[in-house]
Order: sequence, then structure tokens, then C-alpha cells
Amino acid sequence: MVSSSVTEAPTPASRTGAIGRRVLRQIIRDRRFLVTALVAPLLIVFFVETLFDAAGTPDAVTTRFVVPFGAYIVHFATFILTAIVLVRERVAETLERMFVNGYRQLEIVSGYLVGYTVLATVVSLNVLIELQLLFDLDYGLGRLAATYLVIWLLAVISMAIGILVSNVARTEGQVIPFIPLVIVPSFLFSGLVVAVDQLPGWGQVISRISPMYYANNVIQELVAGNTLTTDLVSFIALPVYAGVVLLLAALTLREQT
Amino acid sequence: MPVPAGRWKGVDGASLLNPSVWIATVLPQQWGPLSLLAGIPVGKSRGVRSAISARGLTKRFGDVVALDRVDLEVGEGSIYGLVGPNGAGKTTLIRTLVGAVKPDEGSVSVAGVDPSADKRQVRSFVGYMPQRSVLYSDLTARENVAFFLRGHSRGNADDAVEQALDFASLDQFANRQVHTLSGGMQQRVSLSVAMAHSPNVLLLDEPTAGIDPELRHVFWEGFRELAQSGVTLFITTHQMDEVVHCDRVALLRRGKVLAEATPSDLLASGGALVRIGNGEGAAEQRVADVVVDLPRILHGNGLDPAIDRIEVRYSTLEEVILGLVERDGGSDSG
Repeated sequence: MVSSSVTEAPTPASRTGAIGRRVLRQIIRDRRFLVTALVAPLLIVFFVETLFDAAGTPDAVTTRFVVPFGAYIVHFATFILTAIVLVRERVAETLERMFVNGYRQLEIVSGYLVGYTVLATVVSLNVLIELQLLFDLDYGLGRLAATYLVIWLLAVISMAIGILVSNVARTEGQVIPFIPLVIVPSFLFSGLVVAVDQLPGWGQVISRISPMYYANNVIQELVAGNTLTTDLVSFIALPVYAGVVLLLAALTLREQT
Repeated sequence: MPVPAGRWKGVDGASLLNPSVWIATVLPQQWGPLSLLAGIPVGKSRGVRSAISARGLTKRFGDVVALDRVDLEVGEGSIYGLVGPNGAGKTTLIRTLVGAVKPDEGSVSVAGVDPSADKRQVRSFVGYMPQRSVLYSDLTARENVAFFLRGHSRGNADDAVEQALDFASLDQFANRQVHTLSGGMQQRVSLSVAMAHSPNVLLLDEPTAGIDPELRHVFWEGFRELAQSGVTLFITTHQMDEVVHCDRVALLRRGKVLAEATPSDLLASGGALVRIGNGEGAAEQRVADVVVDLPRILHGNGLDPAIDRIEVRYSTLEEVILGLVERDGGSDSG
């Protein structure tokens, strides 16, 4: 029989770390996925630049649109990445096996977030560097770093929403209808295309549900030359939003049938 | 009625592995050997304290009754077999024991703990091997065992990982990604995962499915060793010949326990077929107890000096189980 070896009781942090490392290892091993996840957002930003060039849009307008749009691409990509993963684990029953082996809801959700955040960090950074190169943003290091922080926070929120959505779905196929439901209102109602105060009342409510609204508010201030804290409410809303969605995702992660 | 040739064939080949199949050919005056064969020792009930117990356990999924007032008692350090056709409720029962399914009615206890009320505690001393080899196919065998073990413990768990891999004879394959391993090999990894944290109770859902006969034999030897070291094993199977390895067996069908006994009692309940030949032909008769019934038959025959052959064939476990299923209302396919 297997004799008991020298082990200690695990802590939530050690279990979260174990899941994060495992997820990261799987991401790195899946080369095709990794390359697609890194290249796709860069391609989309490049397409946008091509479009603006062709339309001859003035620089001032371009910058007001293109930086939040870069953030939107990160939101879009990271949301879809994570929307699939947990439902895949549910279908494969590895989720149940994790539970049986002592892992708990919040640890699983956080572990996934930790693993995918590493990927999202790289994706956000790539997009920002590309924006800088293509549009020659005249921001200075401080404002670039601030913009990066906003995009990164948005990526974390988007992944948490992805996990939440995958909890609601029972099969991978059921995730698909949720994808436009999240990303289309984010694009239309976040102030990216039309100013939010021009929307009807119900549209403004939807705006405030989308994390893109808060990210856009803060980014617009940064584009205009102000600081992160100029729209303090929107800036604080980002980490609060992340925390709430994370908690909701953990609470809705079903274990028993 | 003539006996179909097929029923008497195939017995010899299986008799070595399967002590439930015997042919005895004796002359009328040689009674001795038969009485020795009557009580075939197959395993023994060694559990004293109960490691698993279920009382009136009922679980419904919509209109389907998956478990219907199931009563079970599994002794500590014993091997308990749960047989039944697909869809009988075996997996639901095993998942209830690990707290993955919440029962609608009745009570369950695993080592004195209710799994649906305190699944964390139950899972610390229970190992569960699901029916499919649920693993991360892009991780290696060792990485899978180490990852799932992390949920139970931290610190220096390397030894536990190696011992679990070793138990399933996986040392050579430990660094291969699971998707490159055969189905049987994946089952072995899955077993390693289930036992890496040294559980006192092992719940194995069809652990030998898709495994070749040789390895299956090795598995059962390992299970017996584990039981001897005090581990309780609860094993589901639909391969009825495996039942002989268990100390006790329950037959589950449509969520109900049709029979619960030691394999030898179950076997004895099936009786035997006695066939008496007298040079011209043979008469056969099914009897419940050979020791008691054979003299009666011979007396009925007036100890006919023409009798030159008496063949006794005990029912196989498979026949007994199929008979019970049939009496319960036909066979389940699939």
C-alpha cells in the first residue's frame, strides 16, 4: 500500500497556485492555440489601422477611437478564451475530479484566472506596443503605463466574465450564443461608437453593465491628457467589477448534481 | 431433453481461472468428491466494522429512478463488488458515496461521515476513480497524478506520486503525455490519481474496463493487497467473472439491489445441473443442492446398474446473475 509521505495540509493559495501552473503549462503546450491567441488581436488592430488610413481619418479622431478599440480587442479575445475552458472541463469531467480531489470553487476560478492572466498580460502588452508603433501615440511612459493598467484590468474582468458564462452553459455549444451577447453590447453601448448620454435610458443601463464602459471612460481621460484618477469612479469600478464577477463565478460553479 | 453442446463446452478452458465452473465425473459409489466441491471457497467476508453503509438510498433524475431504496453494508478492509447491466445505477451509487451526487432520500455513510453533508472530510480519505479515465490529456501521467494530489496535500508529495505510479506499473510511461497512452494505460494513470493520497476507501468505477486479461489479473492482485493492508475497495463492474475476486457482491438493476451475498453463496444459490447417463442416453435435472439432491435422484433411479456416468455442472456466476436479472423481468441490453 502507498504509505503516507511527508505532506502538509494544502492552503487555498497553494491549490490556486497549482491550478494556475497547470493551466499555464497546458497553454504553453498547445502551440497552435498560443500562437493564435497572440497573433489574432495584433492582426485585428492592424486591420483597423488600415481602415483608418484608407478613410483618411484625422489623427485626433483616430486616437480617441483606436486606443479604446485596442482595449476592446483585448476584452473580446480574453473573454472568448476563457468562456470555453471551464465548460470544457465540465464536459470532460475533470472539473468534478478536481472537486473530488479537494479543490474548491474559488480556488478553481482564481486558479484559472491566474493562469490566463499571464496570457492576457502578454496580449495586452502586445496590443499596446502595436498601437504605439502604428499610431505613434505621443503619451510618454507614465500615460502609456496607465493605459496598460486599464487594458490589463479589463482583460482580467473579461476572463472572469468568460468563466461566469461557462458556468451557466452545460455544453461547449451552449457557450456560443453568449459570445455575441457579451461582445456586441460592449462595442455598441460603451461609448466607443456613440456617446453614452445620447443613448436611450435602457441603453445607458446596458452601458453601465458592460466593463468596456468604465474602461473607455478612463481611457478617454488618458487620451485627453488627464490622469487615471480624473474619472475616479470609473477607475475604481474596474477592480470592483473584477472582484464581483470573480465571486459570482465562484458561487455559480456547480459541483453537485 | 438433450443438452445443447455449447453449454457443456467452454467449461474446461475457463475452469482454471474461474473456480465457479466444475465438471465432476464419478461412479455411483464415489460420493466423496462431490461433497467437497459443494462448498467452494471464494473469498471470505472479513470486514468487521462497516466502512460504507447505505440505508434506503434513493436518487431520481427527473422521472428516472436511478437508485431505489438501496441498502448496503461494506466491511472495512474488504472488497465489495457492485455488478449490474449498464444503466443499473452503479455510477450514480458510487458518485453518491463521494458526495458528487446528493441523494433524494435515505442515508449514506462512508467511514461514519455523510458524504453529502461533509464531502470535504469524506474526500480526504476516499479515493475515486471515475468510469472514464478523466485526465488532462496534454499533461504527462506524472503531472496528472501530481496535480490532483495537490488538492489534498502540499509540500513534499513526490514520494506519494512515485508510489502511486509504481502501483499501476507506470514508471516507464510516467513522462508521456496522456493522449499518447493506450486506453488501458490511461486507466492505470486514472487509478494512480485515485490512490495517490493514500485513501482508506477506494471507490473504483469499472477500473478494469478496456484492460487486457493479463493486466486485469495484476489489478485484482493489487486490489487484494490493498484490502489486506486495511483499505476498503468498492468496485463496480459489468464483467461478471470478476465477481469471484470480491468478498461480497451486490447485484444492482434499475436502481434496485436484486441480490446481496458472498460470491460463494451467490454461486450456491444457482444450484447445479446433474446429468445421468446409462449407456443409451442421458437424463438431466437441475438441483438446488447437489449433496442433498444427488442421493435422492440416484434412489429415484433405483441405483440402476446401467448408470455409467454422472456429470455435475455447477451454475456459473454469470448464469446465476443472468437468472436473477431474468426473474426480475427480462434482460437489459447495452
